[in-house]
Amino acid sequence: MGVFLGTMIGVLPGIGPSGTISILLPLTFKISPVTSIILLSGIYYGAQYGGSTTSILVNIPGEASSVVTCLDGYQMARKGRAGPALGIAAFGSFIAGTFSVIGLMFLSHPLSKFALLFGPPEYFSLIVLGITFITYLAQKSMAKALVTAAFGFLLSFVGMDMITGKSRYTFGIPILSDGVGILPLVMGLFGVAEVFKNLDALETRTIFKTKLGGLLPNRQDWKDSGRPIVRGTLLGFLIGVIPGGSSPLASFASYAVEKRCSKHPEEFGHGAIEGVAGPESANNSAFGGGLVTLFSLGIPPTVVSALLFAAMMIQGIQPGPFLISEHPDIFWGLVASMYLGNILLLFINIPLIGVWVQILKVPSKLLHPLILLFCIVGVYSIRNTLFDVGMMMLFGVLGYLMDKFDYEPAPLVLAFVLGPILEQGLRQSLRLSGGSFLIFLNRPLSAILLGVAMLLTISYFFFKRQREVFDVKDEKA
Amino acid sequence: MGSEAIGSLFWIGVGLFFAIEGISLNVGILKNPGPGFLPVMMATLLVLFSLFILIKGLTKRKVPFPKVFWKRQFLAVVSVFFYIFLLEFIDFLLSTFILMFILFATLIRERNRWPKVLLYSAAVALAAWLLFYVVIRTPFPYPRFISIWS
Repeated sequence: MGVFLGTMIGVLPGIGPSGTISILLPLTFKISPVTSIILLSGIYYGAQYGGSTTSILVNIPGEASSVVTCLDGYQMARKGRAGPALGIAAFGSFIAGTFSVIGLMFLSHPLSKFALLFGPPEYFSLIVLGITFITYLAQKSMAKALVTAAFGFLLSFVGMDMITGKSRYTFGIPILSDGVGILPLVMGLFGVAEVFKNLDALETRTIFKTKLGGLLPNRQDWKDSGRPIVRGTLLGFLIGVIPGGSSPLASFASYAVEKRCSKHPEEFGHGAIEGVAGPESANNSAFGGGLVTLFSLGIPPTVVSALLFAAMMIQGIQPGPFLISEHPDIFWGLVASMYLGNILLLFINIPLIGVWVQILKVPSKLLHPLILLFCIVGVYSIRNTLFDVGMMMLFGVLGYLMDKFDYEPAPLVLAFVLGPILEQGLRQSLRLSGGSFLIFLNRPLSAILLGVAMLLTISYFFFKRQREVFDVKDEKA
Repeated sequence: MGSEAIGSLFWIGVGLFFAIEGISLNVGILKNPGPGFLPVMMATLLVLFSLFILIKGLTKRKVPFPKVFWKRQFLAVVSVFFYIFLLEFIDFLLSTFILMFILFATLIRERNRWPKVLLYSAAVALAAWLLFYVVIRTPFPYPRFISIWS
């Protein structure tokens, strides 16, 4: 069901995995924790694949990590090769997803033992590194990403202080004692804001027709795609493990690597199957990598894993080093479901491509009110309060304006989820050290994490300066 | 003043607001940070980052104001807030019909659109009522005035 629902919503242009999971998250509240995590994982896989379908057939990326699929996937469709493009996207995703599940199985437990070495200073430093990384990778501006991250942290402080019990920024509104809800925030920023963006231009779409029979890649396609799939899988997994890594980053990095490794780089952008195989494998593999960090350290490294983190917290489950020992049913249930989800993705979604194409044909002016209604009811159903609906709309406006002014929402969401852990880490560390910040440097692991964060920041400005120098030289030339 | 400057002024305002409120929360001391400690620190960082963008926006080439299409989005927001208000007084089915009617009427701009608008609004409202009210049993607010299905 998760794979089916995820693909159905993921196919809609502009609604990516984050938006899809946000919109469908309320469905999980009435079911058991294991089932809800399984459902959300299925939704993710489905949404990722749905986004690829839109990229290949309509040249509109379903979400950020499908942007690169547009570059070559759509060109393949224009040459009458939409079938192999869709097929290799599905097979690549399947192989990468399966590998990342194996990685999750074997790495989570050892990493969770390593995580026991983490104390409050290490957690604080890890989150600082994670936020630095995600802002470093910001598409538009690191400074703007830092602004949105700082705002995300501030939003996380709304509500009752966990140590003293004092109300913060509630202004006498009782419901704010529980804090700003994660769902109104993400559904507003990703769901409602996307609807608003799409309302700017209610485009008509040209969709390429494709025959089901032509969906299997031929021998040459497999020969060309084999190594990109392997490289994309490994690269995506590693990027997913790092706090701040993400599926879009994994797919962009894989595209760059494949272009570099190709014997015919001039074909990229004109229908090179490597440009579809590598990125599609990378973005699926990054999800599994992100789960390793989520389950072992209890730190969600990506926005999607942050949503899973929120879902688990709502169900009363604390991700972290003790999850595997205290809730083995959740961990192994998820692993088993990820295998199944990958298989279902392949065998259900490919025959259903005709159905997804029909959904794409539904005009935007009919779809957007439906999506808005779904978001309203979905967010209302969490705490049964219309206040959350109002919050969601305000965040939707904020998300729309942030997009217009080039501020990215991902650092905001990640900071919002990590804020309580950051604060707890800082306050406990200062108590332990008697008020000295040197505790973050005296402990080796913490010092290393902060050192890497510092290096990233310095390298950002150094390479920025280099880019500016090269730009000036090009202009002079 | 370019868009960068305007955007950063907004964030400076947000940061100052959180900082002033945070100070009243008891910042504490380094040995024992209070509930206002990190909020004030974070708000200060927000203001500093925004100042950096403001200075850059004022000194470098002005970025033109982005084109913001107000009408449809404004109408969507207002109609949802109206919908929230309506739900307190009338039934979910009727409220949803009114909301969908407003949205479809705004988005469908053909001639003789009213039969289509009425039909789509009724169909969506009924489907939503069946799914959320009957099947999932979402506990919507009890309407104070009008309820078709009590």
